[in-house]
Amino acid sequence: MKPIGEQNHYELLEIPREADAAEIERAYRMTQAAYASDSLAIYSVFGDEDALGMRERIELAYEVLSDPDRRRAYDGSLDGHLPAPAPADLAFELERQRPARNEPKPLASLPLAGFDDLEAEAGSTVYDGAGLRRARMRRGLELEQIAHVTKINPTYLRFLEEERFDDLPASVYVRGFVGAYARCCGLDLRAVVPSYMERFEAGRVARTRSRQGHPF
Amino acid sequence: MANLAAALARRGRSVLAIDVDLEGANLHTCLGVPSPRASLADFVAHREEDLAKLVVDTPLRHLRLIAATQGHLGAAQPSHVRRERLLQAIHRIPADFVFLDLGAGTHSAVVDYFLAADEGVIVLSPEPTSIENAYSFLRAAFYRRMREALESRAVRRLLAQAMDQRNERGIRTPLDLLREIQALDPAEGARFVAALQHFRPRLVVNEARTSEDIKLGFAVRSVCKKYFGIDAEYLGYVNHDEAARRSMIARRPLVDSHPTADAAVYLTRIAAKLADPRRSSVSGSRGGSA
Repeated sequence: MKPIGEQNHYELLEIPREADAAEIERAYRMTQAAYASDSLAIYSVFGDEDALGMRERIELAYEVLSDPDRRRAYDGSLDGHLPAPAPADLAFELERQRPARNEPKPLASLPLAGFDDLEAEAGSTVYDGAGLRRARMRRGLELEQIAHVTKINPTYLRFLEEERFDDLPASVYVRGFVGAYARCCGLDLRAVVPSYMERFEAGRVARTRSRQGHPF
Repeated sequence: MANLAAALARRGRSVLAIDVDLEGANLHTCLGVPSPRASLADFVAHREEDLAKLVVDTPLRHLRLIAATQGHLGAAQPSHVRRERLLQAIHRIPADFVFLDLGAGTHSAVVDYFLAADEGVIVLSPEPTSIENAYSFLRAAFYRRMREALESRAVRRLLAQAMDQRNERGIRTPLDLLREIQALDPAEGARFVAALQHFRPRLVVNEARTSEDIKLGFAVRSVCKKYFGIDAEYLGYVNHDEAARRSMIARRPLVDSHPTADAAVYLTRIAAKLADPRRSSVSGSRGGSA
């Protein structure tokens, strides 16, 4: 609860003092995107100049915190300079006294972003097309990125998500697609592939049958 | 809104949904009650003093409704006193959760309902218009909450100056304002900070189509923290889903008509977060124009 100009590098990136390198990296990317010149989130609140100032501060914070030596020196200066809060600094005092809530890792907890708790609660082990897409979006991946990594045609990836089983190639290929997709999204292949393939086979059989029933 | 209420009702909790958007009432349609026999307008216009008599059933179990209906053209927003009466009356109706469906805009009535709720949910769409409206609303709610918290006349005057965007003191953000107040009157500063800590709006991103849209919630949360000094909680997102349109046409909440649709799954999750036992009443405000 300090004006931006008085926030230290950790506060600026919204990470705890003990954040590791991966957390710092994620927080940096998130805040950088949040205050980018074309960011929706700052529209009508931060002017161009303010946003530019923010980005410069974020750059500096990242430069320092991502370099172990500079970070150590900075931590030392924080500890040394951090005075017992002056009585006038009520905001700071209250911030210190406030009991730790269980979410002071805001931006840092990406990509699972705090939604995984409910995912687990749902206890879903069925992976259909929508389940794949949810896993991908939680990771913050676009289809094109998965296509780039896996070298699979993005159209087929989209068909996987949309469960357009008849438009997909033979099952042996589909099995490979699903495996590669799951690996990209950090999913457990042994859970995902059989689950999806079961739907795929069932979906295809149903179609084939209905086609046989209607010769025209 | 209709969907969050319906999702909780599907979990077996008794839910009362109230359409306080008298000028744009449509909650009854979303919930499949085409012509409710009673309307909140009757309470507002003093035709009915017993709010409980305006409660109607919906096709969903555990979900009841106080509708607002047309037929009262020019139905004005209730007076401040009447709003107070309404809020008191709501507390007397037994329900696990009460949802208030707020209209768009920053009318003092909308802000008052929002602040009266235990949880205020702001729904954002990934569009500049929606974001702009959401921040206007937050600003209005922020200053109203602060005005309530502050006591000294001098400090309230300072607050009024700060609300004027072209103020001469160079107060630009609510946090700059805090500094000024602390300099003027430390006790008021402490009250301001305490009020800030209790002002925790929740955010939902609606109509998400890309992962960028999903990240918008985190970015807005960061701006809330940096600009307003408030902790907004990002409850979750709901993806753009054609099934939502179909369910709207069928006049049934998506979570009821298509419970396995993507958007319904997300909505149910958000409802589960809201159903935390420490919480009881919820109001929703739309940042968008939809």
